[in-house]
Amino acid sequence: MEEAYRRITEYLNRFSDAVSSQDGASLSSLLSLSSNHPFLLSLADSLILFQDASRVFKQSERFSQYSEIITHLFRSLQNYRLGNLVDAYQAFEKSANAFIQEFRNWESASAWALEALYVLAYEIRVLAERADRELTSNGKAPEKLKAAGSFLMKVFGVLAGKGPKRVGALYVTCQLFKVYFKLGTVHLCRSVIRSIETARIFDFEEFPKRDKVTYMYYTGRLEVFNENFPSADHKLSYALMHCNPRREANIRMILKYLIPVKLSMGILPKDWLLEKYNLVEYRDVVQALKRGDLRLLRHALQEHEDRFLRSGVYLVLEKLELQVYQRLVKKIYIIQKQKDPTKAHQVKLEVIVKALKWLEMDMDVDEVECIMAILIYKNLVKGYFAHKSKVVVLSKQDPFPKLNGKPIES
Amino acid sequence: MERSRRQRPNPSSSSSSSTRSQSYRRFPSNPTQNSKSPSTNRDAPGLAKPRRAGQEDRDVDDPSNRPLLVGTCPFMCPAGERAQRERLRDLAVFERLDGNPRKTSSDLAVKKFCRTISIRDVQASDMRPLPVLEDTLDYLLSLSDSTEYPFQVVHDFIFDRTRSIRQDLSMQNIVNDKAIYMYEKMVKFHVISLHKLRSCSSDPNISSVHYLNMEQLAKALTSLFNLYDANRCSDSIYENEAEFHSFYVLLHLGSNSQPTGESLSLWFRHVPIPIIKSKEMCFARRILRFFRIGNYKRFLLSAAAEASYLQYCIIEPYISEVRALALSCINNGGYKLHPYPLAHLCKLLMMKESDLVSFCNACGLETNTDEAGNKLLPTKQTTFCCPKGGFQSCSFSGLQPLER
Repeated sequence: MEEAYRRITEYLNRFSDAVSSQDGASLSSLLSLSSNHPFLLSLADSLILFQDASRVFKQSERFSQYSEIITHLFRSLQNYRLGNLVDAYQAFEKSANAFIQEFRNWESASAWALEALYVLAYEIRVLAERADRELTSNGKAPEKLKAAGSFLMKVFGVLAGKGPKRVGALYVTCQLFKVYFKLGTVHLCRSVIRSIETARIFDFEEFPKRDKVTYMYYTGRLEVFNENFPSADHKLSYALMHCNPRREANIRMILKYLIPVKLSMGILPKDWLLEKYNLVEYRDVVQALKRGDLRLLRHALQEHEDRFLRSGVYLVLEKLELQVYQRLVKKIYIIQKQKDPTKAHQVKLEVIVKALKWLEMDMDVDEVECIMAILIYKNLVKGYFAHKSKVVVLSKQDPFPKLNGKPIES
Repeated sequence: MERSRRQRPNPSSSSSSSTRSQSYRRFPSNPTQNSKSPSTNRDAPGLAKPRRAGQEDRDVDDPSNRPLLVGTCPFMCPAGERAQRERLRDLAVFERLDGNPRKTSSDLAVKKFCRTISIRDVQASDMRPLPVLEDTLDYLLSLSDSTEYPFQVVHDFIFDRTRSIRQDLSMQNIVNDKAIYMYEKMVKFHVISLHKLRSCSSDPNISSVHYLNMEQLAKALTSLFNLYDANRCSDSIYENEAEFHSFYVLLHLGSNSQPTGESLSLWFRHVPIPIIKSKEMCFARRILRFFRIGNYKRFLLSAAAEASYLQYCIIEPYISEVRALALSCINNGGYKLHPYPLAHLCKLLMMKESDLVSFCNACGLETNTDEAGNKLLPTKQTTFCCPKGGFQSCSFSGLQPLER
């Protein structure tokens, strides 16, 4: 009992000291429940033993200012330790709300408490996720992550203003992205994105690099989902360029989305890149593009269908079909050129049909004509097709224009 | 009512069978009599909370904090509203007794949708319980084939009154099987309206009617998906679930279509595997692929051969769009000295020759005839344009009319 009392008092002292000396780092460590730090775990045990920690508060004036924050935090810690994640979340949210009130009042000349706020934002998301898992396993509706999202929006609002606290907004935004992506309510990202990207409130360059990378990663992904390739390329490339090269897992995540974007613009990754970052699911896709092998593309999409659907790049990869057709026709042209350069620019539709048959793709002359018409229309092939003679006549100059970093025209 | 469920097909040997973690919400099934809510529901107040975009009835308060409301109104329309609307002469044509705009009856009056209602002001006597809602819905849908009035009038009435039904369902937090069947019927109504409203081109307001219909379609469909999720147990899926998911895919056919504000790629992430692999979804995804690639031949062929009536209703406007694309491609890439024979084009685009000629003209293209009397489409015409008022729908020639 003595020990328990001592631990509780120690925590209270540390908390109070951290605030008065504006020690953000110390304060942060006192809030990160999910870190499972031995200090916090033994504190939790003490709280469970002690039953009524509010007695300790009442003993000293120093702690009364933070009693609301700490009371709820203690309850959260207790529940966390006991494995009651829903109660842990609810108490934490109350504590976090009280914290925000205090945060508003703290010295705003320097943003010393931002680090602690970051921890709060992180914890609330993580606790909410675990609380929802508990709810689901008990057959109830998961609703805590959604609540965490609302809370984080409130925090965002607190940070969006003048003063050095502003730089914290991007971190909170990234936590929000994670929440909304998990919930599938991605459209809710729009309002924060708008706030961040409005120069009036924020200067993007002011934000910490780490947050900028995360931000560009998520917004880049959104652009991939909406198939805005130039924008996706810009954002994901930014993330890639500024990402710490030693964070291989993060680089992998960025590449996972950047590669399909680049492929759509005719830029193929080298095999060593796929190998190094374990993105071998793209290997066959790249091969198919290089060889004009439609069967291989379809096969690759089928084999990794679940993975591609889950990451949201399936539709982007499917559309690469046009480039595969382009490559196939180009190969036929190259072979014909070797045999007879004077006639090479005339490709019989029947020859294409045959080539596709070798690839086990059953397409008749009409469909091939249709595909050729589309390729010409989208400027993947320069030339024309003659319906009566069932032949494609390629332009003598640059009959297969490269995409060169531009997506196919719609 | 028997609930027939489709068992999940045998899992494929694909290596990635476990990569998609499903976050199902599983609840004890609500009892069919909704007069008493099961005690577990009190701990899970947010049962019908939609997790996806296009949230139904945003005008209703957040369900998480309200007590469960159970309706007691035995009529299609609460007596108070009926009397009030009689006084104000606010009766739709279907509600009028012998055509009298001042008189209705309990057999004819149907509760209107009220945008500004707040849960706090609602009385149980104004709320219709589930069995009444079911009967009301069946009655409303029985009117949809009425030829007495132009379809737009019929549509307006059913549109509004079914919206009210959804409001009653939502406010009473009815989220069981029966709600699913009701939502399926309502979505079906909106889908068929897509088709029928297209023939109502005479009305200048038709585009806003169409827009609103699409909006409700998207909302109702999203709510339906949430209901499927909420009632899911094990890996079985509802009988119509695959088809209704296919509607969502088909609604995204257009280049910038995002009827629910979310991209299709995002949506796919959360669709259960048995549905992804269903016949209906495979069809929809195939058609989508043809559309996005521009493979007009296969798009039209597949649509004609495989689409169900409801799927056709959604695909319909894109058929014209794809046909126009085909004309554009052929005009653009066809050899100038080989005008394209319309006889062949008819087969490709699945149109009657006379319709095709009109269609070409509507796209700013001329056709001509050779000495043998064959109609041709000269290429490299510079006058191609998409018709301003959209396309008149031309059905598929040479095919049986699709059954409902």
